[in-house]
Amino acid sequence: MSDAVVVLVALPVVAATVPPVVSRRVDGVGWPVAAAAATAQTALATWVGWRVLADGPLRTVVAGLPAVLGIELAVDRLSAAFVVLVAVAGLWGLAYTRRGGPRSAPGASLYLLLLAGLTGICVVRDVFTLYVFLEIAGLAAYALVALGDGRDAAPAALRYLLVGTVGASLYLLGVGYLYVATGALNMGVLADRLATVGYDDRLVLAAFVLVAVGLGVKIALFPVHTWKPDAYQAAPPGITAVLAALVSTVAAYALVRVVLAAFTGAFLAANPRLVAGLRAAAVLSIVAGALLALPQRRVRRLLAYSSVSQFGIAVAGLALGTRLGVLGGVVHLLGHAVMKAGAFAAAGTIEAGYDARTVDEFADAAAHQPVASAALATLVLGLVGIPPLVGFFGKWYVALSAVRTGAWATAAAVLLSTALSLAYFARLLQRLYLERREGRPTPAPVSTGMVASGVLAALAALGLGLASAELIAALRPAIEGVPP
Amino acid sequence: MTTASSLPVLLVAAPLAAVVPILLTGAHPNRREAWTMLAALLTVGLAAVTASAAAEGVVHESVLGSLVVGVPLAFRADALGALFALLASVLWLAASVYSVGYMRGLDEHHQTRYFAAFAASVGTTMGVALSANLLTLFVFYELLTVATYPLVTHHETAEARRAGRTYLAFTLSGGVAILAGIVVLYAVTGSVAFVAGGVPGLGTEPVLAGVAYALLVVGFGVKAALVPLHGWLPDAMVAPTPVSGLLHAVAVVKSGVFGLVRVVLFVFGAGTVRSLGLGTPLAVAAAVTMLVAGVLALRQDRLKRGLAYSTVSQLSYIVLGVALLTPAAVFGALVHLVAHAFMKITLFLCAGAIYVETGVQRVGEMGGIWRRLPATMTAFAVASAGLVGLPGVAGFVSKWYLVLGALEAGAAPFAATYLLAGLLKLLFLWPIVLIAYADRDAIAGFRPLPGGEGAPHAEDGGPLAEDGGPPGVEDDDGGRGWDRRTPLTESSWQLLVPLLATAAGALVLGVVPDATPFWDLAAAVTAEVFPGG
Repeated sequence: MSDAVVVLVALPVVAATVPPVVSRRVDGVGWPVAAAAATAQTALATWVGWRVLADGPLRTVVAGLPAVLGIELAVDRLSAAFVVLVAVAGLWGLAYTRRGGPRSAPGASLYLLLLAGLTGICVVRDVFTLYVFLEIAGLAAYALVALGDGRDAAPAALRYLLVGTVGASLYLLGVGYLYVATGALNMGVLADRLATVGYDDRLVLAAFVLVAVGLGVKIALFPVHTWKPDAYQAAPPGITAVLAALVSTVAAYALVRVVLAAFTGAFLAANPRLVAGLRAAAVLSIVAGALLALPQRRVRRLLAYSSVSQFGIAVAGLALGTRLGVLGGVVHLLGHAVMKAGAFAAAGTIEAGYDARTVDEFADAAAHQPVASAALATLVLGLVGIPPLVGFFGKWYVALSAVRTGAWATAAAVLLSTALSLAYFARLLQRLYLERREGRPTPAPVSTGMVASGVLAALAALGLGLASAELIAALRPAIEGVPP
Repeated sequence: MTTASSLPVLLVAAPLAAVVPILLTGAHPNRREAWTMLAALLTVGLAAVTASAAAEGVVHESVLGSLVVGVPLAFRADALGALFALLASVLWLAASVYSVGYMRGLDEHHQTRYFAAFAASVGTTMGVALSANLLTLFVFYELLTVATYPLVTHHETAEARRAGRTYLAFTLSGGVAILAGIVVLYAVTGSVAFVAGGVPGLGTEPVLAGVAYALLVVGFGVKAALVPLHGWLPDAMVAPTPVSGLLHAVAVVKSGVFGLVRVVLFVFGAGTVRSLGLGTPLAVAAAVTMLVAGVLALRQDRLKRGLAYSTVSQLSYIVLGVALLTPAAVFGALVHLVAHAFMKITLFLCAGAIYVETGVQRVGEMGGIWRRLPATMTAFAVASAGLVGLPGVAGFVSKWYLVLGALEAGAAPFAATYLLAGLLKLLFLWPIVLIAYADRDAIAGFRPLPGGEGAPHAEDGGPLAEDGGPPGVEDDDGGRGWDRRTPLTESSWQLLVPLLATAAGALVLGVVPDATPFWDLAAAVTAEVFPGG
């Protein structure tokens, strides 16, 4: 049964080789192959998640080597949540891309490689192989951004590549330091050896900073967020939705996993200044992301900067070093993935159907695209943090934990993020429903799949919100190691 | 006695469920309005059943799983919740009938959106009323903001959009304060449930308790329109009049007041509030609000804005009563919550009827208007008398207890504030009634208007034609007179019946208040939170 974990990663990789080969003979196989693979992946991920809930974590070491030498793959409840997220979001994104594109064979392959890389990050338990999957996902993402129609797609992809590679390299450097300090790469072994080496070892401290900064680039925390607005702006809309759902989210998962499994809660407790620094970075990201979002005129850039702010909340949860804070951060990651992906999909539907790119051009879209507009409005309210949509609940747990630990600045930033995000989203809501557009747009038909993708996300945001307590209860066993 | 029951959920769900069929039947106005009426009648029925149970001490409770870890999503129809739910549902019925007349009378646009948002607003108000804990209340409090936003901005003019922005900025910022208060409260006590007499354990952390209290009071103070947090309310009067009537005089602002009542009496409890010295600051803020808003009301020429400031002032009657923390004052506050609702909605419905029938929006243009709208202006006069506090109308009874309670608390200055605020009400409303009933020439120059507009007939006779209302008869001297109508011909029944009904309600509350269910419920709440006396 543990082999299922290997299949989770292998299935999309193998499927990714099919479109380029077959498309030499048959046209238009890219999307169907991707759809079949994503469906199988979703079924498998759901089954694995269900097994993990019922029987506890699944674990395997590739080629049967001892963990200290081999590549350990494992799925606990935390991994399972993200594995399922990646698979479901991958399948969901295809509903959009069937009409919205990209539909080429290379596009489908890249899409599957992206899913493979992201799934790998979620299940791998050694810090170097994590880097490898980070790069697989990264390279696929860069290339997918380059598939965008506009002139700015190539420069945006190049920028994403440069910044992303710097981030990955910093992470790799941190891994190197860890290896020098301990001689280990497996997270479990690292945890043991770090305790022996000492939590105040300079090499270890430097490694922590490098890993955090490297993954911070991938998460796109302020001030290393610069790739994100351009990439989200230039990519094909369906790809933007999937990237927004998964890329930074899984990077944030990686940060949570490496910090908790390799460094451990004891390391955090021994280095309060390091933790305070991470918290400060998170708070800075929350505030700066919101301030940067304020003047944005293009809807996709607005949503991208909002992500910079929102990921600050999730990282703040981790940086509290408490079980409740981490759980809140994880709930926020999952909820934000659903809401932001849906918001991009709904906005993309309006872009395509109503010929609108800027906030001003979204005026009166509700009259022409009522369903997509309603979905967008709901998701935006969720991102603002209006209960019972899921965006509220992550904030609740993070803020509660911050107050309990006396981290007042973090609590204030998390709570005020509601008002901040309202400040930049209110314009969009008002345009959608209350203003008339100057100049006639040329309405174009959009596919049912495109509209449905936004609606599904809105419903999921509501469902996750109402089930957030159950979600917390389900995830709790995965992070028993963290002090409550 | 608490019984598990689905009654509270149904009460919340009934108006919310109406939203979908209202949206779907948008093309058929009669069918659409039938759904509103059906939901309103159902809600009133359910509320009546719940209220009669609560008055007998039977509390219906529904628990729908966890909202967050440790806090259930739960509804509970205790006496206070049932009182507010009954009030809101009864007035929704009146406002629904009235809305039909108003929206059709003015041939307003986007009527489907209007009726859907109205039903959603009432449903979320029910949620506020029946929440069993502070976090559930917060969820519906925020949703109420969202649901009322389309109503505030209904006209889609620049002014309406600005008012909408102000409204969202004020109320959602208030929401942030409330959430912060709840987080601190929960971190301290581990509970946000409503307990008559207060959650135990708050007194041991006086600083954090004080922080939580301040955050919650400021947060709820936004919708309760405590000065200086009231700025959104007068601007929000740009909304259609039934919205101003039901939502901005009753549901929304009363949700803020209701939240304050819950916080003071059911979260902190009279004992803790008193021992931490937290009652007096709130009382002072309320007293200041009463007087400041009372004075500001005098300066308004637009009738609805004046009524809005009057609302600001009246809400603080209730807040002050609660902050005084004596049984009589709390009882008076709860009765006033009901009394003010009936009186103020009557005034707003009258203002709306005046606008629909004559296009008049300013006090200065109302000279002699009773000839045109005899029954409407009678209702207006009755409700005005009540707000001033004249015996025989609802406002007198509640104010009696409020003043009594202030004296009971040994706070003579606050008792004097009530009397002074009543005097300000008299100064505000008496001239309006006088203008409406007097001959125009007799009152020329009586009421100096802001902006140097001078005497009422200084308007160039145009506003009626401009606003599309039926024009008055031209006088010989070129001014306007009103053609004389009877109550049967002055307006449509959809406008007249609701406002007469609410005016009658105000009279009933003034003459035989103890015959109404509200009286028993208010008494039950008082007995609950002051078990000793």
